[in-house]
Amino acid sequence: MSAVLEIPRETIPRPRNHYTEPHFLTVEGLPTAYRRKGTGETVVFLHGAGMTRMWLPVYDLLAQRFDVIAPEHPGFGETPLPPWLRGIDDVVLHYHEMFRLLGLSRVHLVGFSLGGWIAAEFAAFYPDLVKSLTLITPIGVRAGVSGPDLFELGPERIWTHLFNQHDKIAEFASEPNLDEISFGYGEAIAIARLAWTPRYNIQLPRRLNRVKAPALIVRAADDRLIPDAIALQYEKLLPDARSVVIPRTGHALIAEEPAATAAAIGDFIGSVRP
Amino acid sequence: MNSLDFYLFNTFHYPYIPPVEDVPSSWVTLSNKYCDPKLAHEVYRENLDVCVAAEKFGFDGVLVNEHHVTAYSIQPAPNLTAMNIIARTSRIPVGMIGNALPLYANPIRVAEEVAMLDVISGGRVICGFVLGTGMEYLSQPINPAFARERFWEAHDLIIKAWTQDGPFVWEGDNFHIPNVNPWPRPLQQPHPPIWIPGIGSLDTVRKCAELRYHYMTVFSPQWFAKRMFDGYRKSAEESGYEASPKQMSAAVPTYVAETDEQAHREAKAHLTWLYHIGLRHPAHYHIPPGHSTKASFTSFIGARMKYGMKDHDQLSYEELVKDRYIIVGSAQTVAQIYQEEYVEKLGVGGIIGAGGVFGPMPQWMVMKNMQIMAEEVMPLFRDADGQPSYMKRPSPLGATLAERAATRGPATAPMVRLDGVPHAVDTRRAHVPETIANAGGEMPRYAAE
Repeated sequence: MSAVLEIPRETIPRPRNHYTEPHFLTVEGLPTAYRRKGTGETVVFLHGAGMTRMWLPVYDLLAQRFDVIAPEHPGFGETPLPPWLRGIDDVVLHYHEMFRLLGLSRVHLVGFSLGGWIAAEFAAFYPDLVKSLTLITPIGVRAGVSGPDLFELGPERIWTHLFNQHDKIAEFASEPNLDEISFGYGEAIAIARLAWTPRYNIQLPRRLNRVKAPALIVRAADDRLIPDAIALQYEKLLPDARSVVIPRTGHALIAEEPAATAAAIGDFIGSVRP
Repeated sequence: MNSLDFYLFNTFHYPYIPPVEDVPSSWVTLSNKYCDPKLAHEVYRENLDVCVAAEKFGFDGVLVNEHHVTAYSIQPAPNLTAMNIIARTSRIPVGMIGNALPLYANPIRVAEEVAMLDVISGGRVICGFVLGTGMEYLSQPINPAFARERFWEAHDLIIKAWTQDGPFVWEGDNFHIPNVNPWPRPLQQPHPPIWIPGIGSLDTVRKCAELRYHYMTVFSPQWFAKRMFDGYRKSAEESGYEASPKQMSAAVPTYVAETDEQAHREAKAHLTWLYHIGLRHPAHYHIPPGHSTKASFTSFIGARMKYGMKDHDQLSYEELVKDRYIIVGSAQTVAQIYQEEYVEKLGVGGIIGAGGVFGPMPQWMVMKNMQIMAEEVMPLFRDADGQPSYMKRPSPLGATLAERAATRGPATAPMVRLDGVPHAVDTRRAHVPETIANAGGEMPRYAAE
């Protein structure tokens, strides 16, 4: 007998740009939204603490070479917030089950920002399921320096810290209407559940030693939100890691320079022996 | 019965901060380098003196608050403040509005401290339980996404610790305690009165009414406060009883002087400071993620957008007066507003902030406000004897040792065994040889048996 309860889907507002209708897969009762396109080796792209509900240009560029799956974490985008979500480990176990249901054995795992933390944790728990690991401006380990408090910055000031190319903000930022403000608050609750305090896992550094897959750290030219030192810390801690810097970018480099980002990730994944 | 209770409310502002243009927020990010401990000493001394004076003026109670990391209120530990007031007064109830339960890693600490205050004060404690403003969570190591569940779990734990004999085990989502058994127990039975302030959550209003706790609004416009009190009465009805006005109070800073004009002249700058500087913070500080539920956040923001509600620091002085964020006027004006709007329209039995140090107000002005309030307003809402409400309730303890000895029953004798004595002896008389010889081995009875 299953103790799993179905969690109902809500009506979610659609962003102006890049919105596509997701697929849904019920994972232990949770209707999990995901978008998928392309053929080739499977790349799972874990989003950060925003820019959900969209098929981002960077996903599309990667889909020219790979089978790209972009799921939405519990409580983000069109995946409802389940009451059991209390930490990153819940998300890791959720994805383990989701990958099993999708019949994925080994994947190229890519994570951006908060998604980078989730990807790193997943790789530490399930090193055998990860063919390669790409962390883009990730969080999750301490590096002795910290950036501004994203919750203190608030929903308006955050965008100018995320982007160094301010002319690109409008393409991705949400509109200031009640539906979007309410949606954003709901997503912020999920972020807080995962990462209000602490915003790192003191157990992760040692566990990263378990990750034998090759790893790429994608860094911003000038990240004014999450210190670059955290990315460098990951590069140091992962047994087989290298890093690349995307010029002219801030924290949200996947949105600022999607072509250069997709090229760097594609070249790295392409170089990994099957 | 007195128709309105008058509570002094002191929030311990630290007003000696840089000019308004330089301070985007008096909370969270305003550096504590601006807090001069020598000036802080004066703030504490003046505020505490005013709290103590409230008893002689005839206020019905003294309330203090709790906030963290802000010039608005340098009172992160209200139980400490309450202890000072309790030590310097004799009959007046003292309330902590505090304690911010979710911020405690260990809520038993609250059960212990409040019980201590209640026992030491002779049963004079009003026990507030608060969630803490959103701003507190930006500077404390507590996740606002779990604030509400921590609040109610801590509440359930404290009430159980006060009302059931320990030890017992607590296995909660947030707290796991092998032996819950706090000493002392509170003096007031079954526990001190519980007050809960609300800023708009209808869930909180409903729960307060169900549990028959005292509900208070805080710095809300009057129309908004009315919605909360109406909600309380409705929830009480649904719980099968009629709410008494004494279960509800409205917090509205009030300043009274010889004439309306004089009152405005004296109060304007200070009350403007209170709302424009003291309560200044970016709007999103107020509701960090999970501090409200998504539904409650959406209805709050929706109402703000619909009715054009402004942040405190955007309200003009005229708006503060018009919407009854504050009340300023002659004794006659104030009494009329209290009667027609608070007693009759809102149906509340208490005003919080009928006196207090509002903003950087000098002490003479604070005392002047309190004196006119006591002599010209309070008597209009009281029985012919003019006594505060607490004088009409029996005190749980006698004022003198003789009264207490006469009423408390026998204590358990503290027994001890001494070398060379064949039986246990009452330690208190063990130095008197005759009492040992005469005891004959018979154990005194335990008071509890």
